[in-house]
Amino acid sequence: MAERIGVYVCECGPNIKDAMDLDEVVTFVQGLENVVLTKAFGLLCAQEGQELIGKDIKEHDLTRVVIAACSPKEHEKTFRQCLEKAGLNPFLLQIANIREQCAWVVKDKSLATDKAKAIIHAAVRRVAYHEPLEVKEIACQPHALVVGAGMAGISAALTLAQKNRKVYLVEKLPCIGGKVACYEDVFPSLECASCILDPILDEVLHNEHIEILTLTEVQEVLGFYGNFLVKVTKKARFVDTETCIGCGACLETCPVTVKNEYNEGLDERKAIYIPYAGALPNVAAIDKKHCLRWQGEACSACREACPFGSITYEDTDQVRQLRVGAIVLATGFDLFDPARAPQYGYGKVEDVYTSLEFERLVNSTGPTQGKIVLRNGQVPEKIALVHCVGSRSGKFHEYCSTVCCMYLLKFAHQVTRQLSGVSILGFYSDLCLPGKEAQGFFNKISQEGNIQWLHMKEPDSIEITQADGKTLIRFTDVHGSPREVTSDMVVLAPAMEGARDAGAMAQIFDISQGAGEGFFAEENSQIAPVSTAIEGIFIAGCAQGPKDIQSSVAQGQAAAGRILSRLVPGEKLALEPVTAEVDEDLCCGCKLCVGLCSYKAITCDNLKNNVAINKVLCRGCGTCAAACPSGAIKAHHFTDTEVSEEIRGLLRQG
Amino acid sequence: MTGKPKIALYWCSSCGGCEESVIDLAEDLLTVTAAVDIVFWPVALDFKYKDVVAMNDGEITATLINGAIRMGEQEHMAKMLRKKSRLVIAHGSCAHLGGVVGLANFYRREDLLSRLYQEVPTINNPQGILPQLETIESGRKVKLPDFHDTVKTLDQVVEVDYTIPGCPPTPELIKEAMMMVLEDRLPPRGSVLAEKKALCDTCPRRDSKPDKLRITEFKRVYETEWDPEKCFLAEGIICLGPATRGGCNARCINANMPCRGCFGPTDDVRDQGAKSSSFLASIIDVTDKEALKKIVDAIPDPGGLFYRYGLASSILKGKMTRGRS
Amino acid sequence: MKGFEPKIIGFLCNWCSYEGADAAGRARKAYPANLRVLRVMCSGRVDPQFILEAFKEGADGVMILGCHPGDCHYKEGNLQTLKRYYVLKRVLSTLGIEEDRLRLDWISAGEGDKFVQVVSEMTERMRQLGPLPR
Repeated sequence: MAERIGVYVCECGPNIKDAMDLDEVVTFVQGLENVVLTKAFGLLCAQEGQELIGKDIKEHDLTRVVIAACSPKEHEKTFRQCLEKAGLNPFLLQIANIREQCAWVVKDKSLATDKAKAIIHAAVRRVAYHEPLEVKEIACQPHALVVGAGMAGISAALTLAQKNRKVYLVEKLPCIGGKVACYEDVFPSLECASCILDPILDEVLHNEHIEILTLTEVQEVLGFYGNFLVKVTKKARFVDTETCIGCGACLETCPVTVKNEYNEGLDERKAIYIPYAGALPNVAAIDKKHCLRWQGEACSACREACPFGSITYEDTDQVRQLRVGAIVLATGFDLFDPARAPQYGYGKVEDVYTSLEFERLVNSTGPTQGKIVLRNGQVPEKIALVHCVGSRSGKFHEYCSTVCCMYLLKFAHQVTRQLSGVSILGFYSDLCLPGKEAQGFFNKISQEGNIQWLHMKEPDSIEITQADGKTLIRFTDVHGSPREVTSDMVVLAPAMEGARDAGAMAQIFDISQGAGEGFFAEENSQIAPVSTAIEGIFIAGCAQGPKDIQSSVAQGQAAAGRILSRLVPGEKLALEPVTAEVDEDLCCGCKLCVGLCSYKAITCDNLKNNVAINKVLCRGCGTCAAACPSGAIKAHHFTDTEVSEEIRGLLRQG
Repeated sequence: MTGKPKIALYWCSSCGGCEESVIDLAEDLLTVTAAVDIVFWPVALDFKYKDVVAMNDGEITATLINGAIRMGEQEHMAKMLRKKSRLVIAHGSCAHLGGVVGLANFYRREDLLSRLYQEVPTINNPQGILPQLETIESGRKVKLPDFHDTVKTLDQVVEVDYTIPGCPPTPELIKEAMMMVLEDRLPPRGSVLAEKKALCDTCPRRDSKPDKLRITEFKRVYETEWDPEKCFLAEGIICLGPATRGGCNARCINANMPCRGCFGPTDDVRDQGAKSSSFLASIIDVTDKEALKKIVDAIPDPGGLFYRYGLASSILKGKMTRGRS
Repeated sequence: MKGFEPKIIGFLCNWCSYEGADAAGRARKAYPANLRVLRVMCSGRVDPQFILEAFKEGADGVMILGCHPGDCHYKEGNLQTLKRYYVLKRVLSTLGIEEDRLRLDWISAGEGDKFVQVVSEMTERMRQLGPLPR
């Protein structure tokens, strides 16, 4: 090695100077191999210090520089810039930390002098082997991915599209609109849900910047803020979305009948189906699991019935790679399964419904066209509304789902409006009515119908059983007295939980989830409620926690705002120059490194029988290099040689 | 003198297997011997030491030395042959890495001698006499070579030009090395004359290796029945193929045995054992401390396993004890 | 063994432990001068070969300090280190290197005090063990 190394020892005022014998240090350094210049200086980080280094690099033809001073955390960037200005690659610098890790912690002057010598020696030996590294830049990707086409996801997508950002709106169901699209009315305005939703959905469907991917799920996410690579699978619909007008002719001829999950299993649908009347996009889909063609039968009833030739049995699942700069997860919620708490009789007592089932029951596009009837077809005279199922107790979830009181009041209104003379029993232990509208809504609904409020001791002081054809409700009232009533119908308000597949999502996107309830964890619940620990991945709506429509919309728009403010088209992202690289001539394709990379930056080319490291994805931790049994992976700036030289420098005397 | 290139073969601390590997050239041995003059080969032919000493420096075209260096006499012979030869080729794992005999570096010299001459049940040595450098036998002074403190590789004693790896090397590699010498098409000095990449590259079970290896238990070969088509590591059987230079024709793998590492590490690895321990640790699919300890404790004799051939050439070169040389 | 001062090499990860060491410095907390620090981006970079080299080059003890599990800047690099550490310890014992001569610990950026404590303990233990025989 014939490097020309300049070593600068910073006195840092008295900080370093008084802690050790600097003359001895300088004399020692002058005797080291490759060192052509050694200087002690008062304060290197000051303008004069930087100028001195720059001048020396040119005058003395320095090829490497060692700065013995404060921690690299303080001024490594400063001195790298200094090298760069003088025409030297900034990575040909090594900082010897003789302040924080020597002068300030070693009280004995002679020991501090020895330690400083060792630290500088290591830096000198190491820097001789440094390679110039280039900081590469890539264009940041202004497109965004929104997962979940419910209220929050749609709000985010529309806000982004307003600024002409391309948005991929991914939805696993065949239709968009989320849970709200299944509701008849919304609280507290009691407007019809479709009156609010349909114009928005229409805007989404016809927005040129939004590409809707229904029946689509995310498989894998690589990369980082500004440059995510997302692999999605779009399941075959087997119906051409361009030509199908949703006339329903195919539905009538389909011979297969299965439970309709879009009506919460309360009625049946065909193997080719439209989830519910008014579902958007208004296009049929074939359920491959039940269609006879995939059971080995030669049925083609739907294709024959279709007047537009829209049935395409040849469709296959499509895998797509989406390049986006940011991601909004708006995957919504599912309800706590009340069967887990047998005291509510759900699944055993005939006319016990969850709130989502009741939403369908009361919906004009639902299984009874909106008629509130019992399973035997009769009209109920008494309906019980049960609050806090699985919530606010130590047994299941401690939290309050925040919206149940309000929607149960909405149900009371809907019931009263349809069935005059019906009596309503409200089983509650506390009511949650915060904000500027809720109490007024409660007052209004309480007055309009025949509601009897039954105040329970605890949220779960209730037991629902079937007796003599009647539904029997036993409960403990607020005074501790056992009481008993009967009802024809019971509607439960189960706790909201993160979507059933939120766990899988959290793994794919590498974000955290709260324990038990399945909601995604925000970066900071106070000041960063829509951010996650992963930069560039945002959460919105009920995926983050239980909330109502207006809060979901606000979060969706907030997440979009965060993206618009930072992810500016045309801006460049600097890539990490300290990365790992594979020597193809040495790599034997053992693939042991592939599974070690937290960033999935290592892929195996089974044809060439070696691995490659994606420079854009690699963050430079060096874990793969330490494991590579062939020594085929080089960790730039921390190569085996650089580290070995540093070890020698730290341990050998000169 | 025929003017043909002169070749010498010598053995030091070895089992004799490397000598056998030369004989394993079979008919090819005739081709080779017809092209050269063998001037020294104590195991097979009757040449005299003094005749070799009398040769000019560099007169021998190439000398193949197998075996590690433990005795003074071995060091002396290696140095003498180095002087007489244009090329010195380390032949086999012991000369290359220290080999199985290098495992002696796990013990101190005194312990080895006292064990062998004083403690083993089969010894009859009531006075506890240990080997001496000189002794008087029937009135005559007899000299014995000294027994060094540690086992050394050949290149720790003399400069080595090339290495034929393996325990023993394959006849193909020996023949190819000889042809390289004869046809003067040798690679850069210092090369190991085998594959550049590790064994996995040419392993017949390569395609059965999963993209992400994850294991929760190390199994020994007698403890399990394994799929003879499948990567050993995928079956939880420790195989050092990823950390071992290829070029052996996957002899062990083809005999349904995992790689033990006899070809040594690839060029950029300084310690085959350390690297082996690192890659094996990486594929353990557990980070809970108790479970991890249980899995790791099940690795049989990790020192012997990872350094079966490479202890004497490893970074530490053997057990850290006082007074090593 | 009186008067023996061990040499200790510490591999510190850039994001947590090296910060922790700097924090100790900023707080002017004195600790034994025996430690020589080598900064790596992640404790996952620490190849067992480096540890053997340190012992060969004269270290009496080696420490690897990384982020606490779950806090690794690179997600899981420290867990790879944890696994390697367990395997390597078994190898080291066959090479005559006492178990305590290699120590793995987790030090966060804010744990200057813990850093000082760990370095002091390690130094004291190495003084007790004496120089690594060579």
